[in-house]
Amino acid sequence: MKKRIFLLAVILMTLWASVVFAQPKTEVAKPIILGFPVPLGFEAGRSNQRGINLAVDEINSAGGVNVGGKKRPFKVNAVDSRDIEPGIPVSDVLLVIEKLILDAKVDFIIAGPARTEASLPTMDLQYKYKVISLNCMSLSPAVGAKVAKDYDKYKYFFSMTNKSNSLIMNDLSPSIQDIGKKFGINKAFIILQDVAHARIGGEIMEKVLKEGGWEIVGREIYPTGTTDFSSGLLKARAAGRSILFLWGEMPEFTILMKQWHDMKIPTLPIGMVVFFSDPGLWKATEGKCAYIMSDSVSAGNVPSKATPWTMKFVEAYKKRWGMEPEFHGTAESYMAPYVLKDAIERAGTLDTENLIKALEQTDLIGVYGRMRFDPKTHVLIYSIDPKEGAVGTVFQWQDGKRVAIYPPSIRMGEVKLPPWMK
Amino acid sequence: MDVIIYGLINSSTLLLMSIGFALAYGVSRLPNFAHGALYILAGYLNWVLLNKIGLSFGVSIVLTIILTAAAGGLMYQLVLIRVRGMPVSEIIASLAIGLAIMEFIRWIGLIGPSFVLPIFAEGVMDIFGVPVDLQRIFILGAGVALVLILWLFTSYTKTGLCLKAIAQDERAALMLGMDSDRAAAAALALGSALIGLAAILIIPLGHIVVTAGYDVLLFALAVCLCGGLGSWSGAAVAAFVIGFAQTITVYYFAPHFSLLVALLAIIAILIAKPSGLFGKQKELEERV
Repeated sequence: MKKRIFLLAVILMTLWASVVFAQPKTEVAKPIILGFPVPLGFEAGRSNQRGINLAVDEINSAGGVNVGGKKRPFKVNAVDSRDIEPGIPVSDVLLVIEKLILDAKVDFIIAGPARTEASLPTMDLQYKYKVISLNCMSLSPAVGAKVAKDYDKYKYFFSMTNKSNSLIMNDLSPSIQDIGKKFGINKAFIILQDVAHARIGGEIMEKVLKEGGWEIVGREIYPTGTTDFSSGLLKARAAGRSILFLWGEMPEFTILMKQWHDMKIPTLPIGMVVFFSDPGLWKATEGKCAYIMSDSVSAGNVPSKATPWTMKFVEAYKKRWGMEPEFHGTAESYMAPYVLKDAIERAGTLDTENLIKALEQTDLIGVYGRMRFDPKTHVLIYSIDPKEGAVGTVFQWQDGKRVAIYPPSIRMGEVKLPPWMK
Repeated sequence: MDVIIYGLINSSTLLLMSIGFALAYGVSRLPNFAHGALYILAGYLNWVLLNKIGLSFGVSIVLTIILTAAAGGLMYQLVLIRVRGMPVSEIIASLAIGLAIMEFIRWIGLIGPSFVLPIFAEGVMDIFGVPVDLQRIFILGAGVALVLILWLFTSYTKTGLCLKAIAQDERAALMLGMDSDRAAAAALALGSALIGLAAILIIPLGHIVVTAGYDVLLFALAVCLCGGLGSWSGAAVAAFVIGFAQTITVYYFAPHFSLLVALLAIIAILIAKPSGLFGKQKELEERV
């Protein structure tokens, strides 16, 4: 019996050795690891993840990234940064970033953190560990200002997305002026979420509209968790035909949307509300989001023909994930690996200093326009012409679809007023 | 008139959010910090029953309330009964369960504006020139009906009288042969059913949001502390006081102070009358 067991063990070991050692050793290229710290518990984080995964799969299927003659694949290491959740301290988010750098040994950081309060101190971590990041979510101009203020320390940070002051000056304000001229409207009511970026955005927009000859008929700020917007909406109704400028990311804006629709308030909602970009919003609200306008930050997050690549990206995203690209950061997270690939292949190396120079010299036509970084702030240059710079998109919900309205260079339809406003 | 009508509606909303908490605490002396999580759980259960299983509207509502009640009862039987009588442990245990429920829902991806519940009736009614959507009128009606039904339940049914007796004096009720553990489980279940009903009525105004669970818990605590912990009628009165205070603040001052009103109400009551408007507690140790 013992002899049989021994014989069986020898046979099994021989078989195992022949399988393992007889196979020719194939050299697997070491992947370039992309750290991806985004709030995965939120829709925006997940849509960003879908964007980057699509890009990385495409790049790897095509052979990977040519690093000085050697092809290497990208690999995404996604972690939940939780930075959008209320009550999560910035120190927790920084721990996540530091863990990505030290434990996961990522080569680059893509997309996050989302919150500027977390992005700003992350830049100090990047300096400490000499890690380049391509941020796709932070909208505050403070990030670019920090790079410009101390370039040598913060040169590792690059931003793939637009900034709030540019959203207002180049996207929202011109859209509102056009609507005003087209429909003879010169009043605006402002409703904001009670968070810092919305308050600042609202203040800037109020100033810009007043300078443009608009009358601000009211301004209300609501805390997160509000279940009733009747006070603001009834005041807007009393003021007559107007624009309803909105800014915020609280989910309760869907309550506002439904109240606005049901009460037939004679205002046209337009602003920066993340949730209004959800492609499933029409079906979920049974069409109550009709006529609502919002800024999706970059072309590609809403279908348009900004560049030949835009609809290719939209169709590929639909084919892979069963839905159109959703929130701001999706097209940006898709383009980030491509921008990085382009820079690595031009530099021929992963050396940080050489890559920073290569990224600064980026000039390619991407999903949302021409991609070039401002050399002082490392923020992507935005324009209203996709041949000159990246373009944003203000869209309107019409007949179940998000229709790109602004800038005129990528327009897919005309603005429509709700029937009760005519 | 706007203030009166929307004040009544918002008060009713607060009442719906808090009456379950008041009921559960009144009988079991157990602060259910998973109250907000059960609100969200009820919302998602209803969504799943309607959209994934394909049940009819009426059946899904009834089933949602039953399942949420079962969740509350199970939570008591499996976990909270073991820490009953230890206030800090009760809070920690129930809060932990609540956080686990909400984080689990977030983890499995039930997030986004697509998660909506159907409204009861479409349309807007003009009340003295003030437009009010029909769903909010349902909420107002439900709040009034709930107070009436609870009063009838606790005054004329055997179970209700038993719960009332235990809420008044647990030791005396025990001596009369009433099982306080069973009553506590029933109270938790009933409280959970009530928050499930609140979810079905209120969530259709917008969409299901996981973080709304924290807001619901905060409002329930504010209302119950102001009304007096353990006092159901106190919770009803406090809901209207805080609801109107918030509405007046929104209409005449600024909306961003509305949440502050609820928090200031807690502080004011704890300073002026720590047992609450209708509370009967005299010992500091009895307060949460």
